[in-house]
Amino acid sequence: MRFDSIIIGGGIAGLTCAIRCAEEGLSCAVISSGMSALHFASGSIDLLGRFPGDSVVTDPFERIPEFINLNPDHPYSRCGEKAIADSLHYFADQLQQQSLQLCDNGRRNHFHLTTYGTLTPTYLSQKSVYSPDLEKAFFENQKIALISFEGFRDFHVPLISANLPGQTLFQNRQVTTGTVDLSPLIRSLKNPHEFRSIDISRMLETDEDLQKIADSINELAGDAGIIGLPACLGFIHHNHVYEKLQGLVGRPVYEIPTLPPSILGMRLDHALKTRFSNLGGVFIAGDKVVRGEMQSERMIGVYTENHGKTLLKAGSVVLATGSFFSGGLISNSAGIREPVFNLDLAYEKDRKQWAGGLFFQPESHQFLEFGVKTNERLNPFDHSGHPIDNLYCAGAILAGYNPIREGSGGGVAISTGYYAAEKIISRTASTGAATP
Amino acid sequence: MKSIETDVVIIGGGVTGAGTFRDCLIRGIPAVLVEKNDLASGTTGRNHGLLHSGARYAVKDSASAVECIGENRILKKIARHCIEDTGGLFVALDDDDPAYSDKLIVSCRSAGIACREITRQEALQIEPNLNPQIVRAFTVPDATIDPFRLVSANVLDARERGGQVYTHTRVCRIMTGPEGVTGVQCQNRLTGEIFEIRARVVANASGVWGEKVCRATGIEMKMFPSKGSLIIFDYRVNRVVVNACRMPADADIFVPGDTVSLIGTTSRKIAYEDIDTAEVEEEEIAVLLEGAERLVPNVSKTRLLRAYCGVRPLISLEKGTVDGRAISRGIVLVDHEDRDGLKGLISVAGGKLMTYRLMAEKTTDLICHKLDRTDPCTTNSLPLPGSETKGRVPARRNQFKGISASVIGSTQYRHGERVHQILKSDRKNDGLICECEMVTAGEVEYALQHLNVEDIVDLRRRTRLGMGPCQGTLCACRATSFFIDLKKISGEKANQMLVDFIEERWKGIKPILWGDALRETEFSYWIHQGLISTKKKSETPDEV
Amino acid sequence: MINLDNISFDHCIKCTVCTVYCPVARVTHLYPGPKFSGPDTERLRIKNPDLLDDSLKYCSNCKRCEIVCPSDVNIADIIRLASANNPKRKLSLRDLILSSTDLIGQVATRTAVIVNWTMKLSPLRRLMQLILGLSHERAFPQYASSSFSKWAVGLIQTQETYPEKVVYFHGCYVNYNDPDLGKSVVQVLNRLNIGVVTTAEKCCGIPLISNNRLEEAKKHARHNIDVLKKAVGDSDMKIVLTSSSCCLALDHEYENLLEMDTTSIQGQIELITKFLYEAFEQEETPSLKPLNLTVAYHAPCHLERMGGVVYTVELLKKIPGLNLRFLHSECCGISGTYGFKEENYAISQAIGQNLFDQINDLKPDLVVTDCETCKWQIEFNTAYQVVHPITLLAKAMGCQNILKTGEKKTGS
Repeated sequence: MRFDSIIIGGGIAGLTCAIRCAEEGLSCAVISSGMSALHFASGSIDLLGRFPGDSVVTDPFERIPEFINLNPDHPYSRCGEKAIADSLHYFADQLQQQSLQLCDNGRRNHFHLTTYGTLTPTYLSQKSVYSPDLEKAFFENQKIALISFEGFRDFHVPLISANLPGQTLFQNRQVTTGTVDLSPLIRSLKNPHEFRSIDISRMLETDEDLQKIADSINELAGDAGIIGLPACLGFIHHNHVYEKLQGLVGRPVYEIPTLPPSILGMRLDHALKTRFSNLGGVFIAGDKVVRGEMQSERMIGVYTENHGKTLLKAGSVVLATGSFFSGGLISNSAGIREPVFNLDLAYEKDRKQWAGGLFFQPESHQFLEFGVKTNERLNPFDHSGHPIDNLYCAGAILAGYNPIREGSGGGVAISTGYYAAEKIISRTASTGAATP
Repeated sequence: MKSIETDVVIIGGGVTGAGTFRDCLIRGIPAVLVEKNDLASGTTGRNHGLLHSGARYAVKDSASAVECIGENRILKKIARHCIEDTGGLFVALDDDDPAYSDKLIVSCRSAGIACREITRQEALQIEPNLNPQIVRAFTVPDATIDPFRLVSANVLDARERGGQVYTHTRVCRIMTGPEGVTGVQCQNRLTGEIFEIRARVVANASGVWGEKVCRATGIEMKMFPSKGSLIIFDYRVNRVVVNACRMPADADIFVPGDTVSLIGTTSRKIAYEDIDTAEVEEEEIAVLLEGAERLVPNVSKTRLLRAYCGVRPLISLEKGTVDGRAISRGIVLVDHEDRDGLKGLISVAGGKLMTYRLMAEKTTDLICHKLDRTDPCTTNSLPLPGSETKGRVPARRNQFKGISASVIGSTQYRHGERVHQILKSDRKNDGLICECEMVTAGEVEYALQHLNVEDIVDLRRRTRLGMGPCQGTLCACRATSFFIDLKKISGEKANQMLVDFIEERWKGIKPILWGDALRETEFSYWIHQGLISTKKKSETPDEV
Repeated sequence: MINLDNISFDHCIKCTVCTVYCPVARVTHLYPGPKFSGPDTERLRIKNPDLLDDSLKYCSNCKRCEIVCPSDVNIADIIRLASANNPKRKLSLRDLILSSTDLIGQVATRTAVIVNWTMKLSPLRRLMQLILGLSHERAFPQYASSSFSKWAVGLIQTQETYPEKVVYFHGCYVNYNDPDLGKSVVQVLNRLNIGVVTTAEKCCGIPLISNNRLEEAKKHARHNIDVLKKAVGDSDMKIVLTSSSCCLALDHEYENLLEMDTTSIQGQIELITKFLYEAFEQEETPSLKPLNLTVAYHAPCHLERMGGVVYTVELLKKIPGLNLRFLHSECCGISGTYGFKEENYAISQAIGQNLFDQINDLKPDLVVTDCETCKWQIEFNTAYQVVHPITLLAKAMGCQNILKTGEKKTGS
C-alpha cells in the first residue's frame, strides 16, 4: 500500500498536516496509536499567552517577531510569522467546514475562564466559550449565574465562585450559583461511581432531557443575564444543543472547560477527523508505527504493529507523535529516546535537571522542552547528523518549546503541521511524485 | 487566651502519641493530644508498614524479637482492619552467608517465632514472582500494618471516649511552675490562635523531634537521626513480605501494602538540623531498585510511583555511636523527674511502629504512677474502632446495593466496620472522588467530619486519596470542593491547599521521574497548569 | 497472582478516553466503563481477587477501548481475564450453548429445516428466554442444510493441481450458516490461479473466550495451531480467513490472551481482503465487471482493532461502478454472542441504533461488512441485506451463483 504522505500521529498537528495534504489531492494516511491530547485540552487554541519573564501577552502577533528573535530554535522560528498566521486561518476555516466555529478577538488574545475560576489567555475559542457576542453580553450584565450538575465531579462551582472575586473582570459582579438535580433523568441508579462530562453531554443531546434541564437551569439562574455552564453542551450535536439551550433559557450561555474528558477538545478531534475523511484521507486508528524503512537516505515507508511485514510505502512521512504521554518520546532511568526512527534528540543527559524542585515553579521544567532536533524545514537528523529530507516533524515531538508555560501548544501544533504539509506539497509538485 | 484543663498533654500525633492518648482515655484519664502537623505525618507514616514477626531481629537482637512476636499476636487481634496477615518469607540467594540461614532458624525458635524452612518450589508457589535463583527459603508470621489507619483508629477511639485532639498545632513552650510542669502553650498553625493547655503530666511522644521539645525546657536529650528511604511500586508486586536472608542491610525487605508494594529501606546518618528537610538521594534509589530486583527480578518492568524517606528516632544515652543501625530500636522511656529533676515531664522514643501499643502501655503506666492511679492496661484485648468483629467485616449486602465490590472492599480495608457509616446506596454519596484508590464522596465527607482532616494532605492519610497511579491528578480538584463546601474555607486557602497537596505529591515523584511516572507527570502538568490553570491568579487582565 | 510479564494496566495514566468511547458505557449505567473495570480495579484485584465486580459481565469485548487508548493498555484483555479467572464463576447452560458453536452447528445443519423453522416460533423463543436467558426478541441465524467442510472434501483433488495454495480457515459461520461465502472464496482464489486447502479446524474460540471458557478456548487454539501448522508445513503459505473475529482470535487472542505459542503460524494469518489486495498489487488486478450498486461499508470492531479495514476498503474501491459509502465507525452492538443474551438485548440494540439510523438514512442497495455477527445484527434491525466483501468481489469477477439481491438470509 502506498501513500503520498503518511502522518504518524492523529493529534492536532498530524491532522492539520493531513488535511492540508489531502486537500491538495495527495493520497494520505494518518496512523494513530490511541486518542490524542485533545481529549484533555481546553479546546481553545493558544498561540502565545505568555512571554519569557512570565508577562501575559495580549497581542500575540505583535510579539511574535520579537519572540522569534529571542528564541531562534523555537518551532515558531522555523515556520515564520506568515506561516503561523496562515495556518491559524486555515485551521479555523477547515473546522468551519465541519460547522465548528472558532472565534478570535481580532488579532488579540482573549481570556477564558478555567475550571478553577482563573482566567487564561488564548487565541481561538469555540463560539460557546468566547465570541464577540458573548463578550458583549458579559459586559452588559452585572448578574452572572454559574450552574453545574448534581453529582458531576469534574466541574466545581464552589471552587470557581470562591476564586472569582480575585479576578478583576469579576469584581463587583453578582454571581448566582446553582446545581441542576439530574436524578429524575437518570434512568438507572445501579452504577453511581462514574459520572463524567460525556454522560451529561449525551443527556443534553436528547431533546427531551434538554428541555427538562433547561427548565431547571432557568429557574436556578434567576434574573442573571448570562449563564456559565460546564463544557458538556453536546459532543457531535453541539451546535444543536447550544442553540436550542440558549433559546430555552432565553439568554446567552457560555461554556467553561471541565476536567477530562474535555468535550471541547473532543469536538475539535471529531471535526478534524471527519474533515480528513471527507477529503478522502485514510485514518488508521489503534496502530503503532514500529520502524521506518530507509533507502538511500530517504524514508520509503513504515512498518506498523498491525500491518506486520507489510510495508506501508510513502512519498513523505510526518512524525507527529507528541511528547511523553502520547508515546512520541520514551524515557527510562538511563535517558530518552524517540521510539520510531531513533532520531537525534535535544535533551539534558543529567536526569536531575529534568524537572525543578517545585511542580508549580515559575520557570519551565526542562523535560517539557525535550524533543527532536530539526533543521529549518522541520527535517530531523539521523544519528550520523544527516537530515532526512522527506521526513518531517510537527507538534509536541519538537524540541525547544514549552506548550503550557508559553501558552503556545495549539499554535505550534497547527503551524508546524501546516508548515510540514506545505513543504510536502511543494516537494511533491517539484518531483512529480504523486501516487500513480 | 483560651485555656484548657486536663490531666495529661501528649505531644506528638504519631503512633506512640496516638496509642498513649487512647490508653489514657481507656483508663479514664482525661488527655489532650497536640500535633504540630498531621496525625502520622512524621516517622510513623514513613516506613515499610511492616508487622514484624520478629524474625528480622532474631539473630542480632533477641529481646526485640520477643517483643515483636508478642505485639504481633496482640495487634492481629485488636487492629484487624489495619493489618493484612500476608505471611512472610526469608529467602537466601547464592551470595548470602549460609551461616545466617542456620542462625535464623535457631534464633527464631528461641524467641518463639514460628519459622519453617520450605523448598524452593514451595516458596515460588507462595510467591510466584520471587527470584527463581533462591537457594533457601523460610516462612515467618510477618504481616503488614497500615500506619495511617492505625493512628487514625487510635485517635478516633480516644476522641469517642472524650479526648481532645489539636492537629496542625505546635507547642510554643512548656509551662513550668514551682511544682514542675504545668502544661503547654500552643499555637494553631492554620488560624494563628495561641492557647494553653493546663495539665499535670506532659508526655513528650514526638519521636525524633523530642530533642527539640526537651531543649525547650533546657533538658538535653540527644537523638541520632537516621534516614531510611523507600520506593513505592504502582501495584502489589508481591503477595507476602519478602526478606533477604542475611544480616540487616539496605533494601532487604519487600512489603505488599494495600494496593502497592514497597522496598526499603536505606540507613543514612543525617544531621539533626536536617530532619525536616531530608530527601531521597539518587544513590539510594539505585540501591533500593537493585535490592528489589534481587528479590523479585521482574519488578524492573513495574512503574515506580514515588520515593520517600523517614527519620528514625534513635536515642542513645551512651556516647560515640556512629551507625544508626547499631543502636537497638528498643523502647526508651524517660522520667525527667528522675533524670533531670523536672517533675511532670516524661519522654518516650525509640521502638518500632508495631511495638507502639507496648510503648503506650509503659508510658501510660508511668503517667498513672505520676497521677497516683492504678488503672490496669486493657489495650492488649480491646479492639480498635473498625476492628470489633473477628475476621473481615461481612458486608450487609442490602445496604450496599448497587455499589461495586471493589468500592465496598476498598472502604472496608480502610475503615473496617465503620464502612457502614460511610457507604450508603445513594448516588451522590457513592460518586468516586479518587478513582485509583476508590475513595467515594461519602468517605471524603466522613473523613472531614470524624477524622481530624484539615487539608487534602491529611485527607490522603485517612483515605488513600491521591495515593494511586495518577497521584492526585484527577482527585485533587474534586477534593478541594469538599473543603469549600464542608469547611467553608476561602478561595485563597483552597488554592493554597491544592497547590500544597500537588507539591507534596511532587516531592515523592521527582526522584523517580522517568517512564510512566514521567508520562503521568506531563499529563498532570497539562491538567493543572494548562487546563485549569491552577496558579495563574496574578495574570488576571484588567481588560479583555 | 499477577504475572509480571503481562502488566499493560500499569501504563494507564487515567486519561478517561477509553470510557468515553466505550459503546456499552454510552448506553447503560450498569457498566462503569473500561477504565474502572480494567486498569483501575485490576490493581485492587491483584490485592484481593474477591474485589471482583459483577458489572464486568457487561463488557462486550468489542475492543474499542484498546483502539482509543493512548497508553497501550490491553483493557479488554484485562477485563476478559479477570472475568474468566473469577473463582466464583459458574457456567450457565445458556453460555455453554452459545459458546459451543461447533457442536450446535453440527446438530443444526443436519436438522436445518426443522431448526430454522422452529427458531422462528415466538412461543419457543419465549420459552428459551425463560429457561436459558436467550433474548426472545432476537432472531437466530439460519443454518444451512449441508456444511461447507463437507462440500470442501470433494475439492481436494482439484485444488492440489494449483501451483500456489493457501489454507482457508472458514470458521463456523461459513461452515454451518453460509457455505456459499466459502464457495465464493474458492472460486475467487481459483480464478487467481490459487488453490484452496482446508483443515479439520475447530471453532476459533472467540465465543468461548467471550463466555469466559478460557481453558476450552485453549484446547481449540492448540488444535487449530496444530492442524494449521501441519497444513503449511515449512512453507510460508498464507492462512486466509473471511471472518474478522476468527482472524482476531488466531492472530491476536491465541498469543496475547491465551498465551499460546503461535510462532509456527505467525505472520501467515491474513484476512482474505488483505491477501487479495496484496495479490492484486503484486500481480495484476483481474478484470472486474462494473457493479452499479450503492453499498454502505460497516467496519467491524475487531477488524478495526487489527487494522484491517484499510485493505477491505481499498479492495472494494477496485470494483468499478461501485458507489462505496462509509458508515461512521460505530459498534453494531451484537459483539458475537453478547447481544443474544437476555440481559444484554436492550443494551445491544441501543448501541447499534446510531449505525442503523445511518444505514436507513443512506438507503443503500446493500450493506457490506467482514463480520458475520455484525451482519446478523444489521439485517435484524434494518431492511437491508448485508454481504461479505468477497461476495461482491466474486460477483465482479463473474463467479457463478453469487448474490441474489433482495433476499435476506436471516430469519424474521
